Amino acid sequence: MDLVVAKGLSKRYGGIVALSEATFSAHAGEVHALLGENGAGKSTFIQILSGAVRHDAGTLKVDGADYRPTDPDDAQARGIAAVFQELSLIPDLTVEQNIWFRREPRTLLRTVDRAQLRRRTREMLDRYEFPPLRPDVELRRLTLAERQIVEIAKGLAKDPRVLILDEATSALPAREAEWLLGLTRRLASEGRLVIFISHRMAEVRAIADRLTIFRNGRTVAAHEAGGVSDAEIVTQMIGRNLDRLYPDRVATATERVALRVTNFSSGRLDGASFSLREGEVLGVGGLQGHGQRELFQALFGASPATGTVELWGKPVAITSPRAALTGPDGIALVPEDRRGQGLLLTKSVRENLTLAVIRRFTERGLLSSRKEAELVREMVDFLRIKAQTPDQLAGTLSGGNQQKVIFGKMLLTQARVLLLFDPTRGVDVGTKGEIFQLMRDLAAKGYAILFHSSDMPELVHVADRVMVLRNGRVAAILEGEKISEESILGAAMLEGEAA
Amino acid sequence: MSEFLARNRLILLAYAGMVLLLLVTAVFSPGFLSASNLRSTVVLAAFVGIVALGQTFVIIGGGIDLSVPWVLNCAAIIMTLLCGGQDLPLAWVAPLVLAGGAGIGLINGVGVAKFGVPPIIMTLATNVILQGLILVVTGGSPTPPAPGLIKFLSVGRIGPFPVIALIWLLLTVAATILLSKAPFGRHLYALGTSVTVAEFSGVPTARTTILTYVISGLTAAFAGILLTGYSGQAYLGMGDAYLFTSIAAVAIGGASILGGSGHYLGTVAGAMVLTILTGLLPALNLSSGALLVVYGAVILITVSLGSEAFAGLARLLRSSAHKGEA
Repeated sequence: MDLVVAKGLSKRYGGIVALSEATFSAHAGEVHALLGENGAGKSTFIQILSGAVRHDAGTLKVDGADYRPTDPDDAQARGIAAVFQELSLIPDLTVEQNIWFRREPRTLLRTVDRAQLRRRTREMLDRYEFPPLRPDVELRRLTLAERQIVEIAKGLAKDPRVLILDEATSALPAREAEWLLGLTRRLASEGRLVIFISHRMAEVRAIADRLTIFRNGRTVAAHEAGGVSDAEIVTQMIGRNLDRLYPDRVATATERVALRVTNFSSGRLDGASFSLREGEVLGVGGLQGHGQRELFQALFGASPATGTVELWGKPVAITSPRAALTGPDGIALVPEDRRGQGLLLTKSVRENLTLAVIRRFTERGLLSSRKEAELVREMVDFLRIKAQTPDQLAGTLSGGNQQKVIFGKMLLTQARVLLLFDPTRGVDVGTKGEIFQLMRDLAAKGYAILFHSSDMPELVHVADRVMVLRNGRVAAILEGEKISEESILGAAMLEGEAA
Repeated sequence: MSEFLARNRLILLAYAGMVLLLLVTAVFSPGFLSASNLRSTVVLAAFVGIVALGQTFVIIGGGIDLSVPWVLNCAAIIMTLLCGGQDLPLAWVAPLVLAGGAGIGLINGVGVAKFGVPPIIMTLATNVILQGLILVVTGGSPTPPAPGLIKFLSVGRIGPFPVIALIWLLLTVAATILLSKAPFGRHLYALGTSVTVAEFSGVPTARTTILTYVISGLTAAFAGILLTGYSGQAYLGMGDAYLFTSIAAVAIGGASILGGSGHYLGTVAGAMVLTILTGLLPALNLSSGALLVVYGAVILITVSLGSEAFAGLARLLRSSAHKGEA
């Protein structure tokens, strides 16, 4: 009989659907891999399973009995333990204190039985052939990989029937990762269920008996590991319409420079220089944390910067977002954090759309609802925002429609240089396609677009040119045939390939 | 129409509470619904309402103004001192005192918006400083009586209507226009909902914040001037009651104390509720100590209803019931 069974499992965060009618089943004694892109719903699923969040709808059964944990302790009481990527350990406690935290063996006087604590720790570390680890060392003195191993020990110390490993190998060096793979097989052979999340196909191939594939909050397939090819798995992970996701790349760039940035520095951004032309989509890539965020924020006036910025040939000093958005020479930003920076969740679509340009809808100083309603309707139609009425609260829209509202707000300003920071993050595939098409349409109308994405294929398929940042500098600008995931990654990681 | 009801549920609730409270009071004290008694209730409510006007703007913007008691008190004392019981000096004294109130608001606003001082600290400090200054200036001696014109404005009548009720009505119209029909209102609600989103949408956040405190300083000073007409003169401590009532009126009126929602129309009902309540409680023959306890408790409950605190309590009860099942 199956040990863990989920049917119709759903979880929403406001308007964002994190998990939609997921199904899952796994039995004792197997290693079950979860596969899917970031945001596909794997994390939400294991958070529900481990008691960190509660599902809105659907049923979850463990051993045939209804299972709805109120918190992680409750989940553990039912024999389910999770090892997460974010570490839960306390730096000032020792290895053994961390492993048995809140479940320490006690003496008659209810103090911690230190001898027993040490004995149990040794026993467990020996039994599962852990890499060398001293039980009495404080956590703060360990490396990241060692801490990950302690985290695994802590999960095992609960003697769970179901152990969830969330990308546990990603922080481990090759030998330790190898040990962990052996460990998962052994745990399965002891009759436990190991739920294993990894982005490394080879690992999944090496240990998984079965696998479940997530996409856009849904479970799209479950397979016996032997019965499916790598190519099939990838296709199911990213969806079949991959070729139709991206619009045709029609070159619309003119010779006119819309934005010229010279020796621009802000935080990690260290002297970047480049130019963006009218009608062009310039991609910004590179490894995370190499100045992309600072570049976008500083260009929008949201953080201070040095260097020179010219918009449409005129030098400008952008000291605030308000200054950035003003006038036909403006510069607009679709920000990274949709909920924290982009949208008033408790206000209506209408109020959000017109917030930046509300003064335009006045007659003798007073708002004209008629004028406002007209423009709101046009923008809702143009972007195909799916809202019941313009008075619907923005927070109740789906992620994709929320993003469209932010686009609309920025398009209502007269700014024709657009900064798009990861505009498709957490957006469903359908809307992603619409956003890419919109970008191309806007470029054709003479907008100049600076486009960052954490998803490399988007840069490859949508941008006319791709600028790669490394250590806060422009490491390369790739054009035409030279744009590929390999070339972007190469420029992002290798030295000596300056632009 | 149902959209309107849903959107303004809390404001309508405040008015329903007001009517209910009126009826209850009428039962306990039969003379309460007489014209003269209703008039005096409205007059008293008007003082609360005027102070709470500025407070409404500040709270919607995500701040709070704790300096109203002594802005009000200072305005009252300086006005009576400078006028010396005469009407004529009002021509320059009234603008001066109002400008002074606005100036204090400007200091509060700049401190909060430009220097990042938390609103509670900023306005509390201003309040204490003003209290100290006015003690130094007056030495605690009594002030001359209020000018006749001020007495007319606060207790006089035009036909059956108290003058101050008409003033309150005008201010209510002005506040409603600012909140609902001016770009400033949109900016204010955005600011109170999320400073970052407002900033990223090009809202002049600092200017908008400062303006709310200026309005609050203005209305507190205006209320101070008018209040001397009601009590006959200015005295130390006359503004103290308005700290709690101005904030409670806003909260009872349906605004979130965290900002971003609410309307002055709700505050008007809140001011009425508070004032009717002070009329009802003496009719219950409670001791003055018990009176304060009941007054405070009723306000606490009223404000909690429909607020975050209430929602939180409900959630807590639900989840403990849930645990009971398991």
